[in-house]
Amino acid sequence: MQSSFDLQYIIELMPILFKYLGVTMEMALWGFLFALILALGLALVRVFKIAFIQHLASLYISFFRGTPLLVQLFLLYYGFPQFMPIFIGMDAFTAAIIGLSLHFSAYMAESIRAAILGIDKSQMEACLSLGMTRLQAMKRVILPQASRVATPSLMNYFIDMIKSTSLAFTLGVAEIMAKAQMEAASSFKFFESFLAVAVIYWVVVIFFTRIQHLLEKRLNKAY
Amino acid sequence: MIKVSNLSKKFGDLAVLKDISFEVAKGEIVVIIGPSGTGKSTLLRCLNYLETPTTGQIHIGNATIDAVSHKVKEVTALRQQSSFVFQNYSLFANKTALQNVAESLITVWKIPTQEALATAKAILIKVGLKDKLDVYPSQLSGGQQQRVGIARAMAAKGEVILFDEPTSALDPEWVDEVLAVMKQLAIEKQTMIVVTHEMQFAKEVADRVIFMEDGFIVEQGSPKEVFDNPKHERTKAFVKRALKQH
Repeated sequence: MQSSFDLQYIIELMPILFKYLGVTMEMALWGFLFALILALGLALVRVFKIAFIQHLASLYISFFRGTPLLVQLFLLYYGFPQFMPIFIGMDAFTAAIIGLSLHFSAYMAESIRAAILGIDKSQMEACLSLGMTRLQAMKRVILPQASRVATPSLMNYFIDMIKSTSLAFTLGVAEIMAKAQMEAASSFKFFESFLAVAVIYWVVVIFFTRIQHLLEKRLNKAY
Repeated sequence: MIKVSNLSKKFGDLAVLKDISFEVAKGEIVVIIGPSGTGKSTLLRCLNYLETPTTGQIHIGNATIDAVSHKVKEVTALRQQSSFVFQNYSLFANKTALQNVAESLITVWKIPTQEALATAKAILIKVGLKDKLDVYPSQLSGGQQQRVGIARAMAAKGEVILFDEPTSALDPEWVDEVLAVMKQLAIEKQTMIVVTHEMQFAKEVADRVIFMEDGFIVEQGSPKEVFDNPKHERTKAFVKRALKQH
């Protein structure tokens, strides 16, 4: 069956899909927050070369960068409950946030680590020479400078994460992609449905790219 | 007040410092001179444990540390007894001049921020930077940056300030303003150990000059002794060359 392009359908579908954007953004924001915390911890463990744990951190990063996000989500949501009862009650939304955090933290840890290592070592020496501890130096001097360096790439990961939340529909999370899929299945207007959802993602990403540029401008003005 | 005993430092097989021992009294200004690459800077960095010595003891103020058995806590304690002025200034790029100077007071000495900033301001005024308090290092000239560097070291409440070639990275036009600040400190009897190639400064300001070569202290004495009447041939050769240049 061949049908013509239905613009009217897209216009009507937009507000329906838009209601589900909240779930998408919630996953992206929580996911990014947890990923950032994890990534900072991982990066510090590797920068300080903390005995033993640093090897675990390397293994962690290697695994989460070395396997597809979809596989990780399936392992977490469908695989783990088989052995670990804790995971049985976990809802798909939570699982998606955990999965996204773990996955993106591995990438973000590497950007943060690179940013820290990129700060001239004389900055650390100056802190130490005053009698500050390494941790104080990190907190007061190194990380504030590294955050400026890392911000562009971290923002890129945030944008990537927004798009990656679409995989959560495979776990059954009722987010924007899942809604588009459902609408498409019932109306048979696949092209229009998926085009509509693509446009929404695109607009959201353009919005955050703008924010990214503003943020970078502000950070560069600071000193 | 400062006692260094049998200090040595090896980088792999290369011995950079060989059995260095000396003492510095409170209020004394010691200038270390010598050819490039003879371990002067390494010695200074060892005093602050920015380089870890291979063997030897360092005693500054109430901190004592042995290279062989040193612990992190001892290192921090030792560093709190001294402060360091770097050749390339090494100011905190993300902090204003005022914040640079106040940092150690706030973080290390736990002084309330307002009080620390007031102290820092007074010190910056003293080094002639009254109108640069809220300026970031990137907007300061080399001479101004180094004066902030000295102010930061002054604020750190150490017993001694270690100067690692403080004027070597400066354009000639900025050298005098930095030396002037150091001379002022000397007048105030601030204990200092200065590694420098500024022979005139050594002659005028030092209580004692130490000549180093090949990781050894070859000779030490008053500026008059070292510059006008050097005992060793190597000192003679170096002093002759160095004074000709200036």
